[in-house]
Amino acid sequence: MYSIQNLEDKESKEEAKEEDAYLKVTDLVTNFYTSRGIVKALDKISFSINKGEIFGMVGESGCGKSVTALSIMDLVPDPPGRVVSGKVEIDGFNIFSDLANIVRIRIKSQTDVKVKRNKRALKKHNFMLSKIRGKKAGMIFQEPSLSLNPVLRAGEQITENILIHNKKPIADSLINRANLSLDDLKHLVEEVQKNKENVRSILNEWCRSNALVDLETQINSIFRNYSDPAEIESEIVSLIKAGLTSVDKRSLIEARDYYSYIEKAENLQLSLYAAEEGSDRELISSIEKELEQLRLKEGTRYRFYSIKRIFTGRKVERVFKAEAERRAKEILSLVSLPDPERIMRSFPHELSGGMQQRVMIAIALASDPKLLIADEPTTALDVTTQAQILRLLRNLNKLVGASILFITHDLAVIAEMCHRVAVMYAGNIVEVGEVLEIFDSPKHPYTVGLLGAIPTTQAKTDAGVNMHTIPGSVPNLITPPSGCRFHPRCSFVMPVCSQSKPKLVELETGRKVACFLYSSEVDD
Amino acid sequence: MELRFFIIRRLLLIIPTLIGLTIIVFVLMWSLPHTFLASAFINPKAPNRAQQIINAENALGLNQGIVLGYLHYLGNTFTGNWGYMTLSNPIKYSGTVLSGIGLFFPNTIQLVIFAAVLSILISIPLGTYIGARPNSLADHLGRIFSLSFYAIPVFVLAIVFQVIFGQGVIAGNPLGIFPISGTFTITSQIAISPPSWLISGVGGVVLSKPTHLIVFDALIAGDYSLASNAFMHLVLPVLVLTLSLLAGILRFLRASMVDAANSEYVKTARSKGVPEGKVIKLHMRRNALIPTVTVLGLLFASLLGGVVLIEDVFDYPGIGYLALSTILSGSIFGVLGTTFLFGIVLISANLLVDIAYAILDPRIRY
Repeated sequence: MYSIQNLEDKESKEEAKEEDAYLKVTDLVTNFYTSRGIVKALDKISFSINKGEIFGMVGESGCGKSVTALSIMDLVPDPPGRVVSGKVEIDGFNIFSDLANIVRIRIKSQTDVKVKRNKRALKKHNFMLSKIRGKKAGMIFQEPSLSLNPVLRAGEQITENILIHNKKPIADSLINRANLSLDDLKHLVEEVQKNKENVRSILNEWCRSNALVDLETQINSIFRNYSDPAEIESEIVSLIKAGLTSVDKRSLIEARDYYSYIEKAENLQLSLYAAEEGSDRELISSIEKELEQLRLKEGTRYRFYSIKRIFTGRKVERVFKAEAERRAKEILSLVSLPDPERIMRSFPHELSGGMQQRVMIAIALASDPKLLIADEPTTALDVTTQAQILRLLRNLNKLVGASILFITHDLAVIAEMCHRVAVMYAGNIVEVGEVLEIFDSPKHPYTVGLLGAIPTTQAKTDAGVNMHTIPGSVPNLITPPSGCRFHPRCSFVMPVCSQSKPKLVELETGRKVACFLYSSEVDD
Repeated sequence: MELRFFIIRRLLLIIPTLIGLTIIVFVLMWSLPHTFLASAFINPKAPNRAQQIINAENALGLNQGIVLGYLHYLGNTFTGNWGYMTLSNPIKYSGTVLSGIGLFFPNTIQLVIFAAVLSILISIPLGTYIGARPNSLADHLGRIFSLSFYAIPVFVLAIVFQVIFGQGVIAGNPLGIFPISGTFTITSQIAISPPSWLISGVGGVVLSKPTHLIVFDALIAGDYSLASNAFMHLVLPVLVLTLSLLAGILRFLRASMVDAANSEYVKTARSKGVPEGKVIKLHMRRNALIPTVTVLGLLFASLLGGVVLIEDVFDYPGIGYLALSTILSGSIFGVLGTTFLFGIVLISANLLVDIAYAILDPRIRY
């Protein structure tokens, strides 16, 4: 299901433009309403991640890195947390377009806040999120042993994701396979026998013309592992027709039509939500009309089918599940897990930490999302496993072409992994730029301090040289410092710093800093 | 380890547990005066009493030391010779302990099964619903409900229900439609010419055949009015037992649902785009049931205690009522027999709980 992208693609990404942004976060504010006061965890942060880019996010504990990751997927534990304002656009779709309708927050005092949720709007919001989460963005968490459901097999957890988002593509692929004639296959095997050097390109073309791209890697491995043409043929047939014997083509087509109707309706619904954000009445009404027409024209046909499915759909569902399992195994070998067969049957506690994290990555990638949010994915692992996971993520970034939001407190990991990096401090982004530039010439005093605090062997050997630290400690976010939140700890502090908040301004292309040392622009 | 090996091992573990149970009951028996034991063991109506007592001493191994005595006890237990009991208060019964248990036990099974099935059927969906919505109105009501019924002792609850819903307790009470004692109303017609399937004369209690459960026996015999009458007699004891069991399960399920909701794997499930309903049912409830099932074993033990009290309050001829009678009548072998039976019931309940636990939680395979 993954087509291997050309490596040259990556180079061109270096000069990616702003329009190429896959994830765009604008003025995101997330608060936690606790009994001790309002924790202002995110204070209007903005950044964007381009397609195919690995974007790092670094900062001390409690600076809001993880809250950023959770806010992007609207997974902040609610209560007490809540995204209050701002935009998160994933692939151009703002998931917080209806934020004002979902919650009304009445602040009586710091400790007495009434959060009123609108159940109907929340239901709509959750429906929308369930179409975005997993499909457009996947997420990896810090503790793999806690993040996997202990009572479900690894296989079930991966196929769950596949079956939620890919019913229609699976149906399409199954029908294509059912349509394939054996003569076609014989022809392919003969051709490969004649022209052995070019197996890959022949195969690629053949798979493309028969719409079987998702089986390409497996057919390829069959050609590699077997030499006898008859054997190859029977292997491929058993791969392609696996499970199809138990179900007739008519019910497959019926299922496909049903799921494509569902998908069409859902997509229209989503674009309706997107349109509702803007005030283009004409667009809204045209989508509404289209949706209504679709429901009138096709919906009635499927109302009966959805009932019929309860009684007779088992067989079709079983074939779907088998196909999802095949895809899951493919993804497991993509994250370089040996013996996918066994892993599929294992429960999480039977796997090691590194394997668990790979399974997590497989789950996140199962529906081929173009954004992977990795929230300290290596913190809980030992050093060698860490290196393997990092290498895996970097390879996946090239192979699958997914952007990665990589959150960590480890600067070395950032230097190793990322193209660009944002430095966070106390709920603000203080500096953004290319990794090398930031490491070579940090601008913001906090970044300078952070880089200076990396322990080196020199500090130990040079007698009298103490390890460098930033004075003071992370501020309490219930009562954050006025103006620039870093000013009490800053050695370049000026009077203006405690009065107003510096704006994140672009110094040179792709380099943004929020500090009055470089610009006097004020963020209101 | 695979599940079926676990189950086989767990079944084999019953043997040592049972031996432990027999030792405890035996020591209880052995610590009593031996002549008293011998005279209590025999059928009081048997002729030639002096010879019978000597026979009983031999059967019990009373004069052969504690080890042989224990072996004799084991032999008697497994051959079904549990001794005689003569009960006078409140049940009037005279016969072997085992046949007495055979007469009264089905009624208790009926009571417990009704209560257990009902409370599980109600508490699991309800607990899932309120546990998924902490601090909502439904949750607050559910918590008040479960805490109150968990805290009120069952016998108090039983008496309160008798007053509110009992037939003829308060004159003119429109809610008082349920009979408060026994298993069915003995009308004058039944008293004069009892149908062949009713065994009367077993003490003050009328029992039925073939199942010993009046509701089912009446249905088998085709006497529907008697069946519905017997069913009405069941309502209040089952209701009280159900409520106390339900409250316990509900409390634990709600708490573990809230725990599960805050877990990382639920976050993972949401991040995959799993619809909210499925997150609750598959990811949260599946995990929340594990601690709840553990507690179920403990609840079941307290249920057995509750059964004794409830059967007494409702004059319900079950094993609890029998146990009480054996104590009040001072029948030592009756007491030992019912104690042994309660032990067996508890062991099998724990077996079921352990197996359910292992099915729910793949990490448990010790």
